[in-house]
Amino acid sequence: MTMASESQPAGSASPAVTIEAVNVSRWYGNIVAVNDVSFSLGPGITGLLGPNGAGKSTILHMAAGFLRPSKGTVRIADRPAWQNHEMYRSVGLVPERESVYPFLTGYEFVLLSAKLFGLSDPEEAAHRAIRAVHMEAAQNRRVGGYSKGMRQRIRIAAAIVHDPQILLLDEPFSGTDPALRLQMTDLLRRMAGEGRTIVFSSHILDEVERLAENVLVIVAGRLVASGDFHAIRRLMTDRPHTFTVHSSDNRGLAVALVADESVIGVELDDEHLTVRTSQFADFTHAAPRLAKTEGITLQALLPTDESLESVFSYLVKR
Amino acid sequence: MNATVFKLTLRQFAGQRRSLLLFGLALVPVALAVLFRLGEHADQHEETAHFLADVVITAILPLACLILGTSALGSEIEDGTAVYVLAKPVPRRDIIAAKFAASALIAAAFLVPATAVSGLIGLQGVSEEGIATGFTIAVLVGVFAYTAVFMLLSVATSRALLIGLAYVFIWEGLITELFSGTRYLSIRQYCLGIADLISTVSERDFEANLGGVEGLVLAGVVVATALVFAVRRLEAFELIGTD
Repeated sequence: MTMASESQPAGSASPAVTIEAVNVSRWYGNIVAVNDVSFSLGPGITGLLGPNGAGKSTILHMAAGFLRPSKGTVRIADRPAWQNHEMYRSVGLVPERESVYPFLTGYEFVLLSAKLFGLSDPEEAAHRAIRAVHMEAAQNRRVGGYSKGMRQRIRIAAAIVHDPQILLLDEPFSGTDPALRLQMTDLLRRMAGEGRTIVFSSHILDEVERLAENVLVIVAGRLVASGDFHAIRRLMTDRPHTFTVHSSDNRGLAVALVADESVIGVELDDEHLTVRTSQFADFTHAAPRLAKTEGITLQALLPTDESLESVFSYLVKR
Repeated sequence: MNATVFKLTLRQFAGQRRSLLLFGLALVPVALAVLFRLGEHADQHEETAHFLADVVITAILPLACLILGTSALGSEIEDGTAVYVLAKPVPRRDIIAAKFAASALIAAAFLVPATAVSGLIGLQGVSEEGIATGFTIAVLVGVFAYTAVFMLLSVATSRALLIGLAYVFIWEGLITELFSGTRYLSIRQYCLGIADLISTVSERDFEANLGGVEGLVLAGVVVATALVFAVRRLEAFELIGTD
């Protein structure tokens, strides 16, 4: 082990570090867990989204070097993830299973990680990681006596103690309290802001929507969508989108909109218009233009079904 | 060998009920030796040698090593904590070496003194004739061989304990007794051969089925082979998730 590789100072993440999967499949006997999945991830936060049993953990484990792809390759920083223990110098992993060494204190647990990563100053690195997850007060208590949320914090501290350029988290929000989620969100955003690649799996749509800039949607072992969440939604032009429209003259705007070819239907309520369109982009351009032509002030144009839930439901049915 | 993994394994063992179980196992031959000495004996050398062979080499040694060898890595793999060691830039051979060294050290710390003490108790009042020394060294060699094999089993299969018990009681306890050719595949026979080589008692008192040098060489081959395969298995370790 060289001195240069012993310590990675904070903020030293390289944007070149990526995770790449090329035609990856993984099967267990006759069961296909992941089927011909390809993606490439760079710095930022990516949510691996899908229902239980979709293959999210299988993909994450392959990226973490803990599963051999049956077909295809998973590469971390241009090197195969499988049987490449050296990659852990730049990779942190928070596994789904909550098991810890119950006889160690929180500090000892993180220090263990720091030493195994070969850091030049493991004590300082452990203290810094513990501060990052707000566990200073409980760091000298045995991990076996921790609550679920505390265990999760200390597991994250152990995974980030070496300032990894890539952080993989398997269902990190499962069973966590809102305060922890908020702190984790801040932490992961800060790390992503430093140019690190963060990938987390989740079946909690709200969390993915709130945190991830990028999503990989996995359904039945297949990658059914990837990219920016909103962009994915907009690509689905064959599915009607619904907008809520507020204006100075809802009735007049309804008449103008119903004549536009991007609009499928318009409903007029007391307060607003509900407009259905099959052409997301065209409609968002047409609505302000038509309102201006008619001399109507457009006060609000709100998509009503932009939630990840709606995207996901659509993809599953597709 | 990785010192952090070595220390972690020692602490793991110290915090487990297995340590009490091992302590109890180590006390068994000592307690039995005391009881043995209370009786009348026609040939103290012969009876002590057979006592050490039948109680320590046949039962206590493999059972203690089975407990330690299968739990050193096996329990971590089972409960998922192995990931905290494996997701690190530590060569797998260093992990296996550290786990093996810690397990063998613990087993030896319990079994070697227990064997020496029980041998000396059994031979109290007569010349030692290399019996206590021979069996103590044989136990030390057996600790290495059994621990390596059981560690390999724990990395290779989730049924390591069951397969280990089958090896000890069916293969070594039954098959090698019935078919002499199989003695080359029995760690027990290696140990008995080594004890026989060192002890100076007559063949009438104690005789092994295998030469001591052969036993020593074969034990070395078993340790090396088991550790090499354990490293290979650990390098190909897969984490099967729930999703």
